[in-house]
Amino acid sequence: MRKELVCTVITVALTGAITGAQAPATADTKVLADFSARVQKYHDLRDKLDEGAARQTQHKDPAKIVAEKQTLADRVRAARFGAKPGDIFTPEVQPILKRLLKPAFKGTDGAENKKTIAEEKPAVPLKVNVPYPEKEPLTTVPPDVLKQLPLLPKDIEYRFVQKHLILFDSRANLVIDVLPNAIP
Amino acid sequence: MRSRHLHVSIVALSLLLGSGLLAQQITLPNKPDSLKFAVIGDTGTGDQHQYAVAEKLIGFRNQFKYEFLVMLGDNTYGGESAKDFENRFEKPYKPLLDAGLKFYAALGNHDTPNQRYYKLFNMGGQQYYTFRPKLGVRFFALDSNYMNPQQLQWLEKELAASGSDWKIAFFHHPLYSSGGTHGSDLALRDQLEPLFLKHNVNVVLSGHDHFYERIKPQKGGIQYFVVGGSAKLRNGDLKNDGLAAKGFDTGYSFMAVEIAGDDFHFQTISDQGQTVDSGVVHRQAAPATK
Repeated sequence: MRKELVCTVITVALTGAITGAQAPATADTKVLADFSARVQKYHDLRDKLDEGAARQTQHKDPAKIVAEKQTLADRVRAARFGAKPGDIFTPEVQPILKRLLKPAFKGTDGAENKKTIAEEKPAVPLKVNVPYPEKEPLTTVPPDVLKQLPLLPKDIEYRFVQKHLILFDSRANLVIDVLPNAIP
Repeated sequence: MRSRHLHVSIVALSLLLGSGLLAQQITLPNKPDSLKFAVIGDTGTGDQHQYAVAEKLIGFRNQFKYEFLVMLGDNTYGGESAKDFENRFEKPYKPLLDAGLKFYAALGNHDTPNQRYYKLFNMGGQQYYTFRPKLGVRFFALDSNYMNPQQLQWLEKELAASGSDWKIAFFHHPLYSSGGTHGSDLALRDQLEPLFLKHNVNVVLSGHDHFYERIKPQKGGIQYFVVGGSAKLRNGDLKNDGLAAKGFDTGYSFMAVEIAGDDFHFQTISDQGQTVDSGVVHRQAAPATK
């Protein structure tokens, strides 16, 4: 009888622990899946617009590269007219991404990562659907920072502007969304 | 009699100057069937220093017919308009481009991913890519600004598939460097070095720190070079941290390379035409697999 009671107590305790641990993970998974779906939706839109005069191809004349990039950017900006901060970095996903990033900025390794990012201090307006300024460098993103974050489709990148994280379309050269104060 | 002697001396001097021997003494074996290439890094300033190194680079080809060039990033500083490409790439290297030489670029932190579409950088529209200029020698150009899991996966696959004896990786940020300003990129090293060791990469070329440095052979005998002073210079930036086998931070430079069989010969030349380093890296046979 006593043995059964002990077993029951242990089972209940374990169940509670597993549920407690899984509950936020499941919620996070859903929110992260929603984030990935939003990024994918943007990617598909961009790829649909990337045709004809906007198709990025190789040229000897850099002016043609600039013209194609500009055409693509114009099309994306028109298609996303009215896009707001938080459309992709939703209020729900923002705290999760910040939490995921935290370990990459802890301790001496974290200090190295911060130093790498801080090597460049680009002056970029933190606005959605605007071009990344041509003369501003892109920050290097350390590999162990990228490892913490959800994978992105081709030619969409995470970049930092000081302590803020941006989603950057490297083909259209546009800021897609902004996550303020991502670096603790 | 005296004037005849002077005339002979002038003719001899002219011949020496014409062949570039006075300015740049060649130490490379210059064998007929070897693979010859040049390495430049952090070039895109468009200023007098870029032109000074370019002049020596072009002159050196009179004696040493390198077939292509590898660019280690920061290919254009501060803009990517047609004018920027013209002033910071096409004009300084015009004789080499006119001679049909190919430049293979990696992206630096001052470059945007749009450079992959610039045909003269031979990137095939990709931020990272591989090419094999000769049977047995394969290059892996990486984008060290954005080393995401997809790129690491690609590199692992390409390294594993390559049957080349010589595997040479090149990218902007150095895994090993004695630079006081930047130095070794430890986070990048954590990701790349295990792959280099696993797949027997022989030589790694990087820039970013604005000087020349040959690192003492590291794990697995891998030879790392920093060639980041082909237009920019951080005078006195080399720290005495025991990493360097040879360093040069008081002038601008480029490196010429010749691969002949199992030997990787190198000669680094300054903007003054002086040889600041030279030597040979002997390829270590890959460990036998069961």
